[in-house]
Amino acid sequence: MVAARTRLEIATQNLANVSTGGFRRVEARGFLSALGVTITRQTSAQRGALRRTGRDLDLAILGEGEFRVRDAAGRISATRDGAFVRGTDGTLRDSRGRVVLGVHGALSVPSGAALDARDFGLPRESRVQTGFLEAPAVNAVAEMIDVLAAQRSFESAEKTVAAIDGTRQKAADAARIR
Amino acid sequence: MDRALFVAASGMAAQQSNLETIADNLANAGVVGFKGSAQRFAELVAPGGSGIGTVALGARVFFAQGKLARSGGPFDLAIDGPGFFILRDRDGRRLYSRDGQFSRAADGTLRTSNDLRLEGIRIPSDALAATVGDDGTVTAKFNRGTRTIGHIRLAEFAAPELLHPLDGTCFEATPQAGAATRVTPGAHDGPALRFGMLEQSNVTIVEAMMQILTAQRAYEANAKGVQAADEMLRIANNLQRG
Repeated sequence: MVAARTRLEIATQNLANVSTGGFRRVEARGFLSALGVTITRQTSAQRGALRRTGRDLDLAILGEGEFRVRDAAGRISATRDGAFVRGTDGTLRDSRGRVVLGVHGALSVPSGAALDARDFGLPRESRVQTGFLEAPAVNAVAEMIDVLAAQRSFESAEKTVAAIDGTRQKAADAARIR
Repeated sequence: MDRALFVAASGMAAQQSNLETIADNLANAGVVGFKGSAQRFAELVAPGGSGIGTVALGARVFFAQGKLARSGGPFDLAIDGPGFFILRDRDGRRLYSRDGQFSRAADGTLRTSNDLRLEGIRIPSDALAATVGDDGTVTAKFNRGTRTIGHIRLAEFAAPELLHPLDGTCFEATPQAGAATRVTPGAHDGPALRFGMLEQSNVTIVEAMMQILTAQRAYEANAKGVQAADEMLRIANNLQRG
């Protein structure tokens, strides 16, 4: 039942992010052990398709690598969501207002400048496509099926628990009669 | 399950705001100078690294150029390229817009339909007609020849997407967007004015319709997630019988 619950949590998380740019779906991996089924989370390597937006600061990565961004507290994280805007100070910022980092710290982009993969410190074989965004790599149909499957497996686990409970009840009754 | 319930509910809330933004775009698809916006989303991640849903970050305006269409108004203007008309309201506050449907008021000023005054131009009462060049020069025709009576300047911002939208076409300056820089239109790499034309909205109806369908289905899928989590909670509560 715990495993089914985790599967449902993973499927709903994927469904909730069906519109989040650059999102990569989380896969549920099940393992059998002496204690039953354990579910682990693994971020899928599958990437979303490119969606044309026509904005000159929407960037999609073709190939490996991620954009590095720094928030106001100085924490650095990685993202493939390339919906950027130009800040007042000329630096490139992502949709959450975090500063986009290049090879040498924050990236400044004068109006009309063209950016390529090397500016972001991406691997050599990767390219950056301007005017496109990476769509979330979530298939709503597959996630729906996962939600239903998790629900049904929860129900069958419940039947098993009820059956074990019933057997024990009978054993206890038998002991009492003697 | 309680977490799954929350995660799926956050997805429903996000799609709801998405739908509101798209509906607003669609409703204004026929408004001159309207700029469409799009909702942005981010994944919510708990400190442990596991996801706890999604959040709508708010709508962001897209300043893509709308189509220019020839119109019949005597003072219709369109901006070809970036930039905004500089307008003043009754209190003298500066506002910025790309809606160029001006009409001449009794005092000679050019005003938009919601009574905002275009800065830097006043047409004398004895002028017979006025034209505006690509560089913003306003020339008026009088009984005795023609004369230049003013220049229309445009405002540009470092980060126009961070301007504060007052309505679909009118914007207010913000510290995030930067100070307005005045530009003279008509430079070879800058905006140009088109006299006798209007800029249509940059919303494509077909695209907006498609977005509505996608958002609606995503909403439904998340609602199913809420239902499944609820059902599992019910089963768990019924485990203990008698």
